[in-house]
Amino acid sequence: MLELNVIFEAVHRWLEGILPQGLVTLISALGTGGIVLAFLSILALFLVWWERKVSAHMQQRLGPMRTGWHGVLQTIADGVKLVQKEDLIPATADRPVYFWAPVICFVAAFMAYLVIPFGRGLIVQDLNIGILYIIAITTFTVVSLLMAGWGSNNKWALLGGMRSAAQIVSYEVPLTLSILGAVMLAETLSMVGIVQSQAGGFWNWLIFRQPIGFIVYYIAATAEANRTPFDIPEAEQELVAGFNVEYSGMKFAMFFLAEFVNMFTISAIAVTLYFGGWNAPHPIFNFVPSWIWFMGKSLVSVFILMWFRWTYPRIRVDQLMGFAWKFLLPLAFLNIILTGLGVLIFRN
Amino acid sequence: MAIEQLKTEEFMVNMGPQHPSTHGVCKLVITMDGEQIKSIQPHVGFLHRSIEKIAENRTYAQFVPYTDRIDYCASMNANHAYVTAVEKMAGIQVPERAEYLRVMMAELNRIASHLVWIATFAIDLGAVTPFLYAFRERELILDLFEMTCGQRLTYNYMCIGGVNWDIPQGFEPKLREFLKIFPQKVNEYEYLLTNNPIFLYRTKGIGVLDMDTAFAYSVSGPSIRGSGLKWDIRKAEPYSIYNKFDFDVPVGHTGDVWDRYKVRLNEMRESTKIVQQAIEGLPGGDTKVKVPMTWKPPEGEVFSRIEAPRGEMAYHIISDGTPKPYRIKIRTASYCNLQVLPVIAVNHLIADLVAIFGSLDVILPEVDR
Amino acid sequence: MAGNIIKEITDGIYNLILGLAVTFKHLFKHAITLQYPTERWEMPERSRGTIVLLSDPETGRLNCTACLLCSKACPVAAISIERIKNPDTKKFEPQSFNIDTTICCYCGLCEQACNFTAIKLTGKYEFSASDKSKLLYDMGFLQEIGRDVKYEKREKTAAKKKAVAKAETGEDVGGAPVADAKAESSPGSGEAKKED
Repeated sequence: MLELNVIFEAVHRWLEGILPQGLVTLISALGTGGIVLAFLSILALFLVWWERKVSAHMQQRLGPMRTGWHGVLQTIADGVKLVQKEDLIPATADRPVYFWAPVICFVAAFMAYLVIPFGRGLIVQDLNIGILYIIAITTFTVVSLLMAGWGSNNKWALLGGMRSAAQIVSYEVPLTLSILGAVMLAETLSMVGIVQSQAGGFWNWLIFRQPIGFIVYYIAATAEANRTPFDIPEAEQELVAGFNVEYSGMKFAMFFLAEFVNMFTISAIAVTLYFGGWNAPHPIFNFVPSWIWFMGKSLVSVFILMWFRWTYPRIRVDQLMGFAWKFLLPLAFLNIILTGLGVLIFRN
Repeated sequence: MAIEQLKTEEFMVNMGPQHPSTHGVCKLVITMDGEQIKSIQPHVGFLHRSIEKIAENRTYAQFVPYTDRIDYCASMNANHAYVTAVEKMAGIQVPERAEYLRVMMAELNRIASHLVWIATFAIDLGAVTPFLYAFRERELILDLFEMTCGQRLTYNYMCIGGVNWDIPQGFEPKLREFLKIFPQKVNEYEYLLTNNPIFLYRTKGIGVLDMDTAFAYSVSGPSIRGSGLKWDIRKAEPYSIYNKFDFDVPVGHTGDVWDRYKVRLNEMRESTKIVQQAIEGLPGGDTKVKVPMTWKPPEGEVFSRIEAPRGEMAYHIISDGTPKPYRIKIRTASYCNLQVLPVIAVNHLIADLVAIFGSLDVILPEVDR
Repeated sequence: MAGNIIKEITDGIYNLILGLAVTFKHLFKHAITLQYPTERWEMPERSRGTIVLLSDPETGRLNCTACLLCSKACPVAAISIERIKNPDTKKFEPQSFNIDTTICCYCGLCEQACNFTAIKLTGKYEFSASDKSKLLYDMGFLQEIGRDVKYEKREKTAAKKKAVAKAETGEDVGGAPVADAKAESSPGSGEAKKED
């Protein structure tokens, strides 16, 4: 009924009728990319507002109330404020590095959305190495954080940048290994394939066959997105905002938005891998469009991430590393062994 | 290749006067080797207001508002220290109702001060929410104070000879309401923090202050009680009417950050008990004896100390028979407690430094006066 | 050994979930903040905010007799008064009465010193100004902001002692907390010597 892929397929067929094939491919690629970009920008605005409201109500206060109904337009107001700020570049900063760091961060955050399945048929490009592509792209953030730390020419920023690089690189390993478990069960790297393998009902969702894998993934992904309890790189109280201390105006806004987009990315991947993606929990609910299921589940996961942030203190950087290498990694290996044994016994 | 041959350098970092975690304007010059701290040098004096010098030009009654501002988070206790010292010197007997009111207000202020401490300590470690919860309870206490004396932070409540205002009509029901809900709220802070594995990671075994170091540096208050010494001036040398109240003095075992946190949390519970006993046993009578404004105390000197929320606050007052004191020397807890920071924070990381500094509960106006 | 680790892990998870439960519970509670300036806090009666000069409700004249006690009581020398003798009534009157609110610390010692209920600290607090000279209040302004302040005139000490003694003969004074302004503790009287 409200399945959006019908609209896109109709437009595609109409274009094929008028224009040559090559041009149609180009237009459809640019078009879908542009639509995803626009959607994500609006989503980032919504997520910033939602975080402020959730955190406010958890603390028995109200959050933004004046700009629009209950402060809905607050993020736009903040965005306008940041845009019209003076673009300060420290005199001793390494200019090209300082300039490109937020750009890379932002671009890397958005590039992961090429393969996120928003609904039935709503994926920009269903690469047959989907999940591997995402793992590769999320590593770009490390480069941008190191560049930000180094380019600012500030001891505190440097400390923040190095810490964050160490953190992200350490947590990549358990992250990848936990995803491996899910891939083993779905028998495909393609995102659409993984979702389709969980069709039918909630009992097919991979969470029930990969509980350890899910826990490892969720913790590692929280660390990847620099959210509390792993937000040492941005620890205001210790390093005065860490690696982005010298950034102001639009550059700061890019880091900030990239964080929220990342948060949604890891939620989307969690939903795709473990909670059935755009599948309804029971065939009865198939009348609800698939993209609503996907967005709903992802937003629940985003809410849980926000919940963690406003409840827990943060972990110290060396304890963080110890936790990744000495606890999560063995757990991820255990998960793979058990999954492998399971596949061996139950499928052959 | 040996570590020495790598030619790594120690570098100096300035945790400047303006920093979100230094609880005031305190400059810490930290020499670090990588992430480990090798030495710390605190630079204080940014908030020096010459209060002791000003005292030489004010009458005894006029000096009371200045004592408010020595420790503005525990203003009642600061008032209490000064007026008990002056009354001891002059031999003034304060009416019993005034004593009860003083103790009640001092203990409520102790709770308020510890709430501020928990709020800032938790937020330094990254847990933002306990800050809001602690301030929510503190609002209730500040409403009580506002109802009684009109101000929320610097009260000028006690005067030489008693207290300035009696409690108004609506005070008692509101106080009882607060005492009823407060223990549950303390439990709430405990659920959020005390046994939280992340919190334990950050505070257990960190910044251990052993007894010998504590004695050598005259550490007092919850900081030394966390190390195991059961020393509380309210019990050891009871002043005012503290000997009439039944309360316990919580102590820690190892002297790490977690123990100091636990001590303060339990102190809040004990103070609730004291306030409960005070409001139940509040006698009638006057709230002050009249002391003229150009009152001339007898010549002499006095040294008197009380248990402020941060430790021992003592006054050494020298009077030469004129309405203005010859010299007032204020011994504050934070000044001495801050000395121990460079000793216990060595070889920890910067993140630990924030936790340790927070756990010492140093407030800079007390340090600099 | 393994049992210890398992216990540690389960304890840790339990306490983590306990923390989550506390914050979740608060999602459904009412906010305790006020939306200033549409909602304002009602200032208690004894609030120590801006100083005003009180006038007699009938005649409109200031209660102040220029005894200079408040000026001498002020620890920070925020009050400066000049007085002249009124040739008709042969009593002192303030010619100028200036309060420097940038110095005033709102301690209330002036209010305690006054025997004539002429100066009072009220619950008004919205007096921000963008120019520092506007924060030096003169007599006219102080009287103007004091016109709508309700107060009870404090009797002089001797008369008050008589009234209290009279009340005590018939009834016994209980230990209940006292409420109204009249029965509040008496201000410190007597001269204060203070160098300017």
